[in-house]
Amino acid sequence: RSLPSGHTMGHNHQVNSVQRRARCWGIYRRRFPNWAEPVSPSMHPSSRHQQDGDATASDIHMDSGVRYTPYAIPPYHRRGTFHKQDKTLANMEREQKSLERSIQGRRLDRTSGSWFKITVPFGIKYDEKWLLNLIQSQCSVPFTPFKFHYEKMQAHFFVENATIAFALKNVSGNIWDQDNERISIFVSPSDVPHFVHKEPKSEKVQQVKLTMKKRDDSQETLDIQKLQFDPDFMRHPEMAATPSKYMAASLGVHEENVTKVESAGEMDKEKGLEPQQMLAGGNAPCTTLPDKSGNINSILELFPKLLRLDGQESPRPTLGGTEAHKKLPTSKGSVFGSETLKNLVLQFLQQYYLIYDSGDRQSLLDAYHEEACFSLTIPFNPEDPASSSLCEYFKESRNLKMLKDPYLQRQLLKHTKRDIVDTLSELPKTQHDLSSFLVDVWFQAERMLCFSVSGVFKEVEGKSQGCVRAFARIFITVPTSNSSLCIINDELFIRDTGPQGIWSAFPIPMITPYSSSVAALSQEQQKMVPS
Amino acid sequence: MKKFRKDGSRGDRGRHHGRSDSYRDEPHTSHSCRGSRTREEVVTPPLPEQTASGSPMATSVDFKTYVDQACRAAEEFVNIYYETMDKRRRALTRLYLDKATLIWNGNVVTGLEALTNFFEMLPSSEFQVNMLDCQPVHEQATQSQTTVLVVTSGTVKFDGNKQHYFNQSFLLTAQSTPNNTVWKIASDCFRFQDWATS
Repeated sequence: RSLPSGHTMGHNHQVNSVQRRARCWGIYRRRFPNWAEPVSPSMHPSSRHQQDGDATASDIHMDSGVRYTPYAIPPYHRRGTFHKQDKTLANMEREQKSLERSIQGRRLDRTSGSWFKITVPFGIKYDEKWLLNLIQSQCSVPFTPFKFHYEKMQAHFFVENATIAFALKNVSGNIWDQDNERISIFVSPSDVPHFVHKEPKSEKVQQVKLTMKKRDDSQETLDIQKLQFDPDFMRHPEMAATPSKYMAASLGVHEENVTKVESAGEMDKEKGLEPQQMLAGGNAPCTTLPDKSGNINSILELFPKLLRLDGQESPRPTLGGTEAHKKLPTSKGSVFGSETLKNLVLQFLQQYYLIYDSGDRQSLLDAYHEEACFSLTIPFNPEDPASSSLCEYFKESRNLKMLKDPYLQRQLLKHTKRDIVDTLSELPKTQHDLSSFLVDVWFQAERMLCFSVSGVFKEVEGKSQGCVRAFARIFITVPTSNSSLCIINDELFIRDTGPQGIWSAFPIPMITPYSSSVAALSQEQQKMVPS
Repeated sequence: MKKFRKDGSRGDRGRHHGRSDSYRDEPHTSHSCRGSRTREEVVTPPLPEQTASGSPMATSVDFKTYVDQACRAAEEFVNIYYETMDKRRRALTRLYLDKATLIWNGNVVTGLEALTNFFEMLPSSEFQVNMLDCQPVHEQATQSQTTVLVVTSGTVKFDGNKQHYFNQSFLLTAQSTPNNTVWKIASDCFRFQDWATS
């Protein structure tokens, strides 16, 4: 069949709206390798030259095969021929569908180009090197195959570039094996193979989800056109450029729906999406887009991504290829470094909090160095209602996240033990749960021991009586002549635990009884502590 | 907030007054401009009179200076650290001394190689820091190695895990050159705070 007069493949803007609509559902065909299909019943199957001379083939492959004309329909894709070739193309469709489904939900990597999966049906018959050489011999551009592998009857590999992918499509049907049978090459856009992997940012994925939520949920088909110009969507220009990447990540479209979309296009040529209008200015891509593969990729990506099933949840941001397997290290209990240090620190803490909870914090003077520092913070979170119950701590809070005045920054840092103990004495009376304490001795030097304590305490009087607070406290200490610890830096952080409060022991108990070994300790301590 | 700001003028404090969490990009007075320095460095102006041991920490003037300097270092540090942790994880170990130690929820990690492996193994993160505090560490403990205690708190979401509250503290030590001071982590302690309700 010849093309209707006036039907130009590459210059869509000249075509009237009827033909444009016809091309629209033809786009659904585009995902399938039909235009790379070597044989159409309308063409003489055994004649190579006829294919070259065919206006269709040459139109598709115009400009040395680099120019991609997604909206050009070869004659065997027009509706008339479609019905006649129903069986053949349907078979091809099914095969392509199964190929598509075999691609798991991987994500496109914008930074290293677009990936395409190249499939040679019955490629199992062919030696890898032989096949690749043969393909390269007919391919207008050199290509690098990635991850060549056989899967059932097929051979697959990936390429990283749309230009190459298109060139490979053109090879399809132009190569023959030793039995003089044509070798077909199917090309489909692919998510980034697992060895090259980058996720779209999660917040952007969320943005897409948000935008998608605006869509009418009752719609069976996705109206990409509207999506493109959604103000939320357009706020992220990079998403607008390759919306499919982010859409795919958040879509979770099931296979059933995918089929629906496809068949909607097939059955009803009147409806369907008009991809030209998705692009800026509503012009056909060939004429308005700069001829860069990046933009071509966007078009390529958009539809196949939509139509491809992506039943997974939106991906979370990831760093490497096997993120799914990264686990957090198990949390462990207190870290002391040695039994000696453990006893030293626990003894210190027991004494400290005995006084601290006793109601008279002035006795803590002896625990502090003359020029010690102390500061207190509560979290800065205006949305967190819990922090408002910490008002008694607020005036002393030195949270540098909200406090930017250097004068105040200095003021609120208590300096000298006198100031410190006076400040401590003004804080609400407390009862600490020693069994909740988690201790980390995290720095030790000749004259310095630094450890953190976290746990919970209860306020036992005043406005917030009964409130349970979580705290984290850092003590930096120096050894004293009498083998104890003297505080030079003390930083206290308090957070409310919320209305329920939690008053129970931390799962890993920290404090072990040591009273029986106190006497022996002091000698050991003396050995350990430098003079 | 995430911009690398070099504090060119110590005398001018007014720019900090009453502002919320945002930093202007100050003009650089030093020739060691961005181009010659990586993003993963915490740098403040040179420390005054810091060499002599027994230098007067007790006098109020010097103490004030140490406090200010600690605050600048802490603010600079926290911005860089968490951004690097979230977005450039592989560069994170540049902020640590060679022999630095991290105690991460009770797991002890010592030395740069172990730290590198650890951070690579850790899932990707999204940190939200709600609290920052710092103190200059008393010289008696540090023996003239200028050290700052930095304490942070907030929430973190590691990929594949639920969100946690966290508390983290650092000891930063100063490595001084005539032109500036580079701060590195000598020790790092990180804990989820699991009993806090959200």
